[in-house]
Amino acid sequence: MLKVLIAEDDRVSARILENHLKKWGYQVFLEKNGEDAWKTLDKENIQIAILDWMMPKLNGIQLCKKIRKRESDLYAYIILLTARSSTEDIVKGLNAGADDYITKPVEYLELKARLSTGRRIIELENYNRKLRDRLKKLAQQDSLTSFLNKKNITLRLREELSRSQRDHQPIAGILIDIDKFKQINDTYGHHVGDQVLVEISSRLKKRLRRHDQIGRYGGDEILVIAWDADSHTLRKIMERLRRAISGTPFETDAGPIDVSISLGGVTSEFKADITTEELIKLSDQALYEAKSKGRDRAETRETFS
Amino acid sequence: MFPENDIIDFASVLERIGGDKEFLNELIQIYMEDFDSTYNSLVQAVAAQDFTAIQELGHSLKGSSANLSLIQLREKAYLVETAGGEYNLELAQQGTSGLKTEYERFKAYIADRD
Repeated sequence: MLKVLIAEDDRVSARILENHLKKWGYQVFLEKNGEDAWKTLDKENIQIAILDWMMPKLNGIQLCKKIRKRESDLYAYIILLTARSSTEDIVKGLNAGADDYITKPVEYLELKARLSTGRRIIELENYNRKLRDRLKKLAQQDSLTSFLNKKNITLRLREELSRSQRDHQPIAGILIDIDKFKQINDTYGHHVGDQVLVEISSRLKKRLRRHDQIGRYGGDEILVIAWDADSHTLRKIMERLRRAISGTPFETDAGPIDVSISLGGVTSEFKADITTEELIKLSDQALYEAKSKGRDRAETRETFS
Repeated sequence: MFPENDIIDFASVLERIGGDKEFLNELIQIYMEDFDSTYNSLVQAVAAQDFTAIQELGHSLKGSSANLSLIQLREKAYLVETAGGEYNLELAQQGTSGLKTEYERFKAYIADRD
């Protein structure tokens, strides 16, 4: 139900508006002065406001300006209610940020028509906002795996590291490489390679905790940021991820395939001021060690060798 | 169509509120509940020659009277509002007493109808 705020100090006028709006299926919030109207609008995330021009405390024009200045994702469609109908007044109202105005006394059918215009604008506005949010998310994601892309996972690692230093809570970075992925691609084709990637992404995501983050880091490398992870937790997470992949063969269009991953992990537990670059480099060394010790295994590093 | 009297234009107010007579009665009740206190404030404002308050109170009464198509009450309220804007004490007094007379007429008319 769409919420509408009525800010009107005259009880007769307010009651007429309220009665109509409820009949037309709106959820109505009634306030008698500009200040209370401002608070309710903000608190209830109201997107259509009918504001009387003459009101105690904050008048309709002042309230209009205040609403337009606020930092909010939600657009409020404002209809000014006024007994004034001179061109000068109408221009003043529109310049203050009103979308529309109605002169008093309010006519039933006119109000209905003007409200449906407001509703249309708000629905369009909300649809645009959703689209914008979706696009923003897509731009940060790898299209195949819906992991964060390299730029964004690196950015998150930087943020998480500074947060971990502030909160004195270690975090860990885990670099993951798909064992013999090139061979899978060469043998079964890129289509199957993509299927493997998608399945890996789904299995890994299921094994991560809610606050952990995962992104694609370079060609077939994956980076996981594990939150609140000392060395003990790090080992547990890595082992869980490793088993999630090699424990069960992958069902692909080319039939079942055995896939495994190698992991290299580093926690900031031993070096709270570790930089993003250091952490990546150490993880890479650990990953290299896991590879050279025969793959399908996890290694950690605590210091530079 | 001309209104049947110069107190209230029923046809126009009913059209405005969607034809609901019961709702109109409720609105008249609200109007009456609020009239006295607004009117008293107006009398005080006139005595104190507070023209801003005179203008605002006149404006407010004009609005609620217009909502109910109260023809003469709206006229008198408009007079008060104008008087406030023009710092015209005599006109304000005239409008205020006119409001009282018209309000009594309106009350008697409604009582008769009931």
